[in-house]
Amino acid sequence: MIQQVLVAALAGSAVTALVALAAHRLASAKAMRRLRSEADRQTETLSQASAAQSELISIREQHMQELEATLAGLRDELKTQSDSADSVRAELKAVLDSKDQLAHKAAQLAAEAARLKGLAGTFERWHEQMISLMTQNQDMHTKNRELSSIVRHVVIVSLNASIEAARAGTAGRGFAVVASEVRALAARSEELSKSYRDSLHRNDLTTTATFQDIQAGGKMITASLSSVESLANQFQATLH
Amino acid sequence: MGIDVISTHAKESLERIFFRATRSRLTMEAGDICEIAPAGAHGAHSPPDGNLVILTISGIAFRLLLILHYDEDERTQNYFLGEESERPFLEVFLEICNLCCGAVNQELLQYFPDLGMSTPYVLSARCIPYLEALKPEFLASYAVSINDAVSLGATICMCAHAPIDFVAEASAVEDTSGELELF
Repeated sequence: MIQQVLVAALAGSAVTALVALAAHRLASAKAMRRLRSEADRQTETLSQASAAQSELISIREQHMQELEATLAGLRDELKTQSDSADSVRAELKAVLDSKDQLAHKAAQLAAEAARLKGLAGTFERWHEQMISLMTQNQDMHTKNRELSSIVRHVVIVSLNASIEAARAGTAGRGFAVVASEVRALAARSEELSKSYRDSLHRNDLTTTATFQDIQAGGKMITASLSSVESLANQFQATLH
Repeated sequence: MGIDVISTHAKESLERIFFRATRSRLTMEAGDICEIAPAGAHGAHSPPDGNLVILTISGIAFRLLLILHYDEDERTQNYFLGEESERPFLEVFLEICNLCCGAVNQELLQYFPDLGMSTPYVLSARCIPYLEALKPEFLASYAVSINDAVSLGATICMCAHAPIDFVAEASAVEDTSGELELF
């Protein structure tokens, strides 16, 4: 009995064990299948991710190339700009130099104009000479008037001599000739004196007109030089 | 020199400018009447014992002589001296002539930028006939009468070596700023 029971128990255990084994196998196979499919999915996902990654890398590389190309372009551009900046700098320097030269010239011009204004002194000297010349003319006028007065006196004296000669009759005949000669000489002297007076008046006018022209011309030149000087100064001021 | 060196317009303009200056500067009071009439050539109306005040305005292409004939008689002296008795007549009269010439100069500057003016000088009226010796292109004399009492003579004598042509405005505004002008 006991043996039967034991055999039955053993058989039962064996069956249970078999059932359990079968169940375990089934479960293991199921789990394996599940794991495999999971692994397959994971592999699929990974390969997809890897493809995407490599695509991304290729895009990145493309970008990198583009950036490098742009960078090279920019480097060229920078070089060109730098060259052009150098040439502009050189031009600017040339312009500044020429501006300095112009300012220097303007200063020279202003100084020259200022120096030439000293001509006013020369004109003043000429004017003084005119005054002296006119004073001499006045002196000659006075002397000529004196001469004219003497000549008039001589005419009267010669007339008186003629009258006295006539009174003396035949004795005074010779004296009458002399008196008449003196009168003729006095008349010629009078003519000469008048002509001399006219010459002096002509001289007065010509001298005055000439020297006034010099004086006025001098003022004109001085005024013109002042305006040149002021223009040169303005020009110089705008250059600084 | 040709007869057209100074154009008719320029001669008329000079006359106008000179008349305006004479009327404004030779009259002592604003209400004084100044009449200007053409006289015979060379100022023949001027008394031989009178005197002349000569002033010159020089430009690049011409010189213009403005000549005022005067007699130092009592009426002339009284008119120009007025209340002033301190200064001699000639000094006062030369100053007036200077102002008159300055007014002409001022107006001419509008047409000729480079001009200069001389100081006045006194000569005998006997010098007048010799103006011809300067070979003027324009010579004209006038009789000036102020208030029918003071008689003066005036002569314009212009010598030019280049064509002169300009037209001065017929009715320029009377300039009253003469006192400020410096000569």
